[in-house]
Formats: sequence, C-alpha cells, structure tokens
Amino acid sequence: MEIESMSRYISPVNPAVFPHLTIVLLGIGIFFTAWFFVYEVTSTKYTRDIWKELLVALVAAIFSGMGVLFLMLWVGIYV
Amino acid sequence: MARFCVALLAAVLLVGTTLAAPDTISPSVRVKQADRLVDLASQLVKINTQLVYENTGNEAVKYVLVALDENHRQTLSYINAILVEANKGGVKPLKVVETKVQGHEKSSNQLYRIELKTPLAAGRTVTVSLETVHAHFLEPFPREILQKEKQLVKYTGNNYVLSPYTVLKQKTTVNLSARNVESYSKLKPVTQTDSTLNYGPYENIPAFSYEPLLIHCENNTPFLTVRNLQRQIEVSHWGNIAIEEVVDLEHTGATLKGSFSRYEYQRESGSGLSSVKSFKTILPASATDAYYRDDIGNISTSNMRVMSDAVELNLRPRFPLFGGWRTHYVVGYNVPSYEYLYNSGDQYILKIRFIDHIFDDMVVDDAVTRIILPEGANNIQVKTPYPINRLSDSLHFTYLDTTGRPVVALHKTNLVEHHIQDLEISYNFPRLLMLQEPLLLIAALFLLFVLVIIYVRLDFTISKDEASENKLRIAGFVEKVLSHQLKRINAYDAYEDQLNKLKQIKDINSFNSALKSITNDLKNETQIIADHQVKLKADSPDVAEKVAELQKLDKSLKDVFTQQQTLYVEKLIPGKINRTAFVEVDGPLAKKKADIREKITAIVKNLQH
Repeated sequence: MEIESMSRYISPVNPAVFPHLTIVLLGIGIFFTAWFFVYEVTSTKYTRDIWKELLVALVAAIFSGMGVLFLMLWVGIYV
Repeated sequence: MARFCVALLAAVLLVGTTLAAPDTISPSVRVKQADRLVDLASQLVKINTQLVYENTGNEAVKYVLVALDENHRQTLSYINAILVEANKGGVKPLKVVETKVQGHEKSSNQLYRIELKTPLAAGRTVTVSLETVHAHFLEPFPREILQKEKQLVKYTGNNYVLSPYTVLKQKTTVNLSARNVESYSKLKPVTQTDSTLNYGPYENIPAFSYEPLLIHCENNTPFLTVRNLQRQIEVSHWGNIAIEEVVDLEHTGATLKGSFSRYEYQRESGSGLSSVKSFKTILPASATDAYYRDDIGNISTSNMRVMSDAVELNLRPRFPLFGGWRTHYVVGYNVPSYEYLYNSGDQYILKIRFIDHIFDDMVVDDAVTRIILPEGANNIQVKTPYPINRLSDSLHFTYLDTTGRPVVALHKTNLVEHHIQDLEISYNFPRLLMLQEPLLLIAALFLLFVLVIIYVRLDFTISKDEASENKLRIAGFVEKVLSHQLKRINAYDAYEDQLNKLKQIKDINSFNSALKSITNDLKNETQIIADHQVKLKADSPDVAEKVAELQKLDKSLKDVFTQQQTLYVEKLIPGKINRTAFVEVDGPLAKKKADIREKITAIVKNLQH
C-alpha cells in the first residue's frame, strides 16, 4: 500500500470537544454513581432490588467510564 | 517445478550481479572542470564539489567514480550526489554506492560509484554536484584554552580535488567563520579576501594527486555534539502524537583550561567566546504543549515562539557550556495525528522524521528512535530513507494497557542535519480495538459497583437482634405496599380522566379501550397489596389491619367509580337522563369519591410514620 493512495487519518472524536464530552459524560456518571451509593446505604435487605442496583450501576459505569476516558484525553494522557 | 526454475533463475541473476566485474576507472573519462567549496564556517566540514565529467572515449559509461581520502572518509556523515542540468533546472538525486576498484583495493582512498541516470555517451559531458558532510573533523588547536581565549581549529585536507580521473581545471574556495587566520597552506595561486580563501585555478592535475592543505583559523561557532539522543514517538489514535527527546549534549570544542569566572563571563564581552549560552530548536509548526526539563524539573530559561511555518524553541541550559562540559535535558511536545498518520481502512502509515532539528549544524553521535504504536497494531513494516539499524521490537506499558504497545526501535550513529528525513512505518490496526480502553474503564467501575453490592449484602453480626430485624422487615413490606398504593392511586387518576373525557366527548369506544388497561392495573396492584397484607399478618397484626382497612376503602372507591361509569354509559350517553337529574346523581358520587380518597391519604400518611 502506498501512502499516495491513503487519506489523512482523522480521529473518531475531534480533540476540540474533549472538554465538553468530559463535563457532560462525567456529570451524568457522577449523578448515577451518587444515586447508586445513596440507594445502597438507604435500602435495607428487605427493600433492595438487585436488578435496580445492577441497572443503576451499569448506567453509572458506562457514563463515568466514558467521562474518565475523555478526561484523560483532555489532560493529555493520550491512551 | 516452474517455481523452482524461477528461483534458480533469480539466484543466478543475483550471483551474476554481485560477481560482476569490479568497477574500473575508465581511462576515457576526464574531469573537465571541478569547483570545490569547503565550508568551515561551523563545527561541520561541508564540502560541495561541482564536477564536469567528459567522456573522451568511444563507448558510453554508466557510472563515474569519486574518491575520499582516509581522513575525510573516517569523518564522513553524509554523502549525496545530484545531477545538475543547466538548461532543465531542478535537481535529480543520484545513487551513490561505496565500491572497490581494481588496482586500488589496498589504497587508503575510498571510492564511491555514482550511477548515472542515462549513460554518458562518447564526447558528451555531465555535471554532477557532490555533497559531503564531515563531523568531528575540525580539530581544536590548541586543545585547551582559557576562558578569555578564542577557539582555534585546524583543518587538514587536500589542496586538490581528490579524483580518480585527471582533472583539467579546478579551483577551491574555503569559507571560514572569521577573518582571523593563523596560517594556511600557500600553494600558489592563493588569495585571501575577508573570511574566504581561494585556491587555484590549477590545471592538468593527474588522478589521485595529494598535496596537504592545512588551515588553522579562528572558529567560535558552537561546537555542540549530541552524544546520545533518545527520541520517543507515541502514537495515539485518539488524535495525538507525543514526541519526546532526551538529549545528552557536550561541548566538543577546545576544553576549558583553568577556572571558570562567572564575574568575567558576565562583565567582559570577549570572555567565553566559544561557550554556548543558548541554542534554538525548531519544532514542527503544529507542535503544542512543549516542555523543556531535566532531572531537577522544569528549566524556566526557555522561550517558545510560534511562527507560521515552525515553532521556535529558544533553549538556555542551566549553565553556559564550555569545552568539555555536558548537559542533559528533555524536550517534548504534541502534534496532531492527522499531520503524520495516513490510513486506508485498517491499514496505517506513519510518516515521521527519524530525527528532528536540535540546533543548527548539529552533530548527533548516536540516536535511538522508539516509535510506540497503539496497542494491537500488527504487521509492522519500516521504510527508511537511508540505512538505519532496526533493533528488536519490544513492548511498552502505560495507561490502560493490557498486552502492551508494540515499540519499533531504530538506531543510527553519526547523524547531521541532512539526515532529517521521513520514515514510513506501516502497520495494521483494527479500528474496533479503540473501544478497548473505554470498555476497560467501564468494566473496572462496574466491578467496583458490584463489589459494593456484594459488600452491603454481607452480614457479620454474631447475634441476631430479632426486634430490629422484625422492624426492618415490616418497614420493607410497608414501603412496598405504599409504592403499590401510589401506583393504584395513579391508576384511579387515569380512570378519572377517562370518565371526564367520556362526559365531554361521549366516545364510548376509546373509553372502553383505555379502561381495559386501567382496570387491569388496578386489579394487579390490589392483588399485590393483598399478598403483602397476608405476609404482614404474621409479623405485625396492627399494620396488617391498617392495610386491610386500606383495601376496604379501595374497594368502596372502586365501587363508586363503577357506579359513576354505569351512570355515564347507560344513562348519560344514550340521553336517558336530563341535565338536572344527572347532576343530582353525579354530584354526591363525586363527593363520596373525595371522601374516600381523603381517608386513604390519611392511612397512607399513618403508614409512612
């Protein structure tokens, strides 16, 4: 493969939007994380619902995970 | 069989080319004119020779030869020949190969074969420009100087252009860095004007003529050598290439004799002329986030100027560098990946410089460039502009790595500015692998949450407190009852809405279809609450009683709703009742409903506490 037949590589996410993505995703992630922990400490063993816990945990993990990734990219840790 | 034949043929051809008769110095070739420019204005010796070859024989020649004497060969960093075409303009690089020539195998002179693009026909001439760059050739003389002394250097060369052919006419120009020349060889005709020495023209000089040329002159330009360069290029497919250079720098001019006086250095302008206060590093135009530090930390004495075509970094080491002094520092910066990375599907090519500019007229004794590719890159191939030694690949571990990032390490010694050329590294990288890093983070966080979920379920109590346990269980049931009660109330609200709609629009079909799901909800919730009531009875009869009361009230509420519905469907819609009579019946029903709801709210509030 010759370089002439290739195009310049464009990263999937424009580095200019890293700060915005970080704030939005991490904001949502922290909200769900907080909800998760509040739920964990306020529910008793007769009231908690494993599916609700797992669902909130999953949503919190997805948003926080993506948020942390873009935070790392924003601060210059190019993974 | 056919493949074997092809292989055999290829082998024969290969042997044939390597065993071809060694190069010979064609007697029919002469150098008609040789103009040599020896540039001693910096720490490097740059020799540019323009040679006009003439073929006086009958046969065309495919190549011409050039020679370097032992001194020049040992210090040679870079050699390049270009074809000069006066009428066409533009330059065409020619292939230069080290070669052995029959009859000159034992000679200390090294010969190079310049392969011509088109053979030189009989009677024709061709102009070739030969460029050689030599590092560590200028010898400081004296070897040690005091702080206030000037630096003098010695150059030992050849008065004539060393050529395997007879040179008809030649002249040499030597550029010096200063006007002050201690001594120089005076092979007539020679003239000195300013900082230039002109030798020649000399005519009809036979092949391999040697006449020592000795120039001893002042040269206070920075004699800086990069003893060791570690260049690291980290490619991220998230849009960045991080470049870091670790530089070991040494002043390789005349070493400092005696003590160093900071006072004199600051006060007197003629003090420490050959020392290096600062130097300029040129970074690519798109470089950002540059840093300049050493083992202690950031070196604050640096300036960065962003210009349209480059970023200029003015670096000042922590101390001025005198002869023999060394320093060590790190320079790093980021460049966007679209400047250097090309792709087509999953195939990528990184086109980046093997080394970059460190200072003008630089000499790099030893350079190792490590290119860190993204994790999962495979099928790595390297294309180099000049021979570079590829070291064994290794792995690099940094943030969010699992199997490690592949590292290509390249090594070359004796480099000068002319070696700032692009490498091409091609590799395959499945794009989906970029998801590995976010998924790793998500999995790690989810694991943490799962651990919390498990932790809250662990019970390490030795003795069970039945009373509080009971209380918790009842509270749990009550909470569930209340949540279902809330849903039931919401269903009643929807029921109410539908009745109102029916009263106004009188569309019985849509009412019936909406009613279906509402009654279903009501039934379900009532059933669930009834189930909890049964469970509660064992633990707390009084709470169970309250729930029973709730159920009773609910039943009567349902009855009222049913009555109201019957009134609407059977009397109001068919028009069997007049307005006043309808209001007389409907009003009390509404009031009854409100009463029951109030009672329900009271019980709910009671249960909440």
